[in-house]
Amino acid sequence: MADLTVEHVARIEGHGNISVSVENGVVSSIRMDVVEPARFFESMVVGRRFDEAPLITSRICGICSPNHAVTSIKAIESALGVEVSERTKLLRKLLVYGSYLQNHATHLYVFAAPDFVGLPSVFPLAATHPDIVARALKIKKLGNELCNLVGGRSVHPVTAVIGGFTAEPDPRKLEAFREMLLDIAPDAVSTVELFASFEVPAFDTAGEMLALSSTDDYAIYEGEIAALDAGWRRPVSDYREVITESIVGHSNAKHTMVAGMPIIVGALPRLNINAGSLSAAGRDALAKAGLTMPSRNPFHTHLAQAVELVDAAERCAGYIGRLLEMGGSSAPVPFKIQAGEGAGATEAPRGTLYHGYGIDDDGFITRGDVITPTAQNLANLDADMRAFAPTIADRPRDEFILLIEQLVRAYDPCMSCAVH
Amino acid sequence: MAPRVVVVSLASDFGCQVQLTNMEDDLLDVLGLMDLTYWQLASSGHMPDAYDVAIIEGAVTTTEHVELLKDVRSKAAAVVAIGTCAVTGGIPALANTAGLETRYATVYGGGVAVAPGRIAPAPIDSIIDVDYHVPGCPIDTAEFLRGLSRVLQGLSDHMPDQMMCASCKVSENACFLEVGTVCLGLVTRAGCKAKCPSLGRPCTGCRGIAPDANLASAREVFARYGCDPASLASSLLVYNTAAEVTA
Ligand code: SF4
Ligand code: SF4
Repeated sequence: MADLTVEHVARIEGHGNISVSVENGVVSSIRMDVVEPARFFESMVVGRRFDEAPLITSRICGICSPNHAVTSIKAIESALGVEVSERTKLLRKLLVYGSYLQNHATHLYVFAAPDFVGLPSVFPLAATHPDIVARALKIKKLGNELCNLVGGRSVHPVTAVIGGFTAEPDPRKLEAFREMLLDIAPDAVSTVELFASFEVPAFDTAGEMLALSSTDDYAIYEGEIAALDAGWRRPVSDYREVITESIVGHSNAKHTMVAGMPIIVGALPRLNINAGSLSAAGRDALAKAGLTMPSRNPFHTHLAQAVELVDAAERCAGYIGRLLEMGGSSAPVPFKIQAGEGAGATEAPRGTLYHGYGIDDDGFITRGDVITPTAQNLANLDADMRAFAPTIADRPRDEFILLIEQLVRAYDPCMSCAVH
Repeated sequence: MAPRVVVVSLASDFGCQVQLTNMEDDLLDVLGLMDLTYWQLASSGHMPDAYDVAIIEGAVTTTEHVELLKDVRSKAAAVVAIGTCAVTGGIPALANTAGLETRYATVYGGGVAVAPGRIAPAPIDSIIDVDYHVPGCPIDTAEFLRGLSRVLQGLSDHMPDQMMCASCKVSENACFLEVGTVCLGLVTRAGCKAKCPSLGRPCTGCRGIAPDANLASAREVFARYGCDPASLASSLLVYNTAAEVTA
């Protein structure tokens, strides 16, 4: 085998190249070159008004914009000392889960599935397997519509603001969505079965797995940072001490470490750490998936995402039930503009997302900081590629490339998030 | 023969491409109308040498983008710019307000050099001719489909020149300015049916400044309603250039 580069790896969000060097028939280096252009978001928010931070940073990523918007809002609220209502929290969780449904369905069916059936894209499947494509579009669409319902728009939601929501969905529509969510549950279960039927390479990652964790709920909206192997838990406000960033020459995205170890975040770490918080349907789905927890195989991310789809359908239907019964208001709560520092974290579909800001007395931003899931995963992806490549080095070139691309896609990387 | 269409992205958040995939109900119909030859987000096919329509998302931020655009222009019969990033430079061009190297230093410091070939973020039509513009952050899929069908029929660009404010009045929303809250609908390009005010939030100007807008009189209106006139230019900077917002 000779040196090779896969330019603009397909079916991932954003631009990244895989580059492989070979010496004397042995892979001597392999890495993900992140060529996605830098847009300098952390600098762009400096000097802007505090309430513009969610508006601007939501544009880090159009594929998980509700997650950026909600995380940015939480960080600003933490800086200003704003406490929001239970109702607002539930609506935000629905917004986050809408993004999960749409992202997981897209990743599983549009980005990942073509590899397992030997196709360049999902489009030919529309002719050969219309039922599978219809199922994918149904889940994805419901996710979008849930974001539309709660946020007013699925890409860059409108109604979620600091302190609450500027508008609320009609209760009759909420009720209808409860039905629709329960209705996609069987589709989500079929997704688990489909991905359980695909064979994946046996490969274990060495990286430390991190996810938010909470005793109250499957942690996607709030919780503490938890480490699977090391076993510690830390408050989100400590994230800067826990996670260290460094600049590497081959990537416009920074790499991150925890205690000198590369880390992995996303559906698999979440499930490993929080399986105990799954809904009844989620636990059944996990059993169907046939995963032994904890799993260290990054190729199991697909199954973990599919299990989360099942869990999300039931959980969101439950949130809607509570919203319909509880009363209360999600109208933005009043707050005082004052100087402060704040951090916020949520679990975005691809893993833990952190935003941090400093605000001055007049409400202008003095410091912005964003650590995205993919930025956290990149060092471990490089490490995994280095460990995985030698085990498949004897395969024909095309097969070698496909397997490496599959590993990359298993991480579901989002380069526009990673670089931002 | 179905027109061969490619989708290209520059510096963006992929949100407008996501909007393309969000046409779930229409997507397969639309695909029947076109041969989607290259779409990195959705397919591992390679960028072909010949195609009819190029749909381009994102702002120009590197020398590589400039070369890519010239190449695309030489091959495509029609170029469609989608999203405010592509149309005005959008949010990526907010980097220009403090100068690119200041931005770079804030984010990356002075250590290992990354982000090679960076240039001041700019809209696509600052580099090549664009046949059709679809504004919005993100684009509205119905507006995109109307645009695409016009392009496929060889019809010309069709962006509304008026301001969003009029459609907000038609929707009978309460006016934000009247209660002293900054809203950019007064000067922002129409076409979104007053999306945000109809959801209780002031317009943040995501479709860019309307050609018909009169910024001087908008500043007067701001002053009359007790909004700081300087906040008009400052708020508009998010989606427009410094030169445009002070006109
Ligand atoms: S215009 Fe907005 S939604 Fe579209 S690519 Fe740019 S930032 Fe994303
Ligand atoms: S109201 Fe303003 S910010 Fe909202 S979609 Fe319309 S132009 Fe964009």
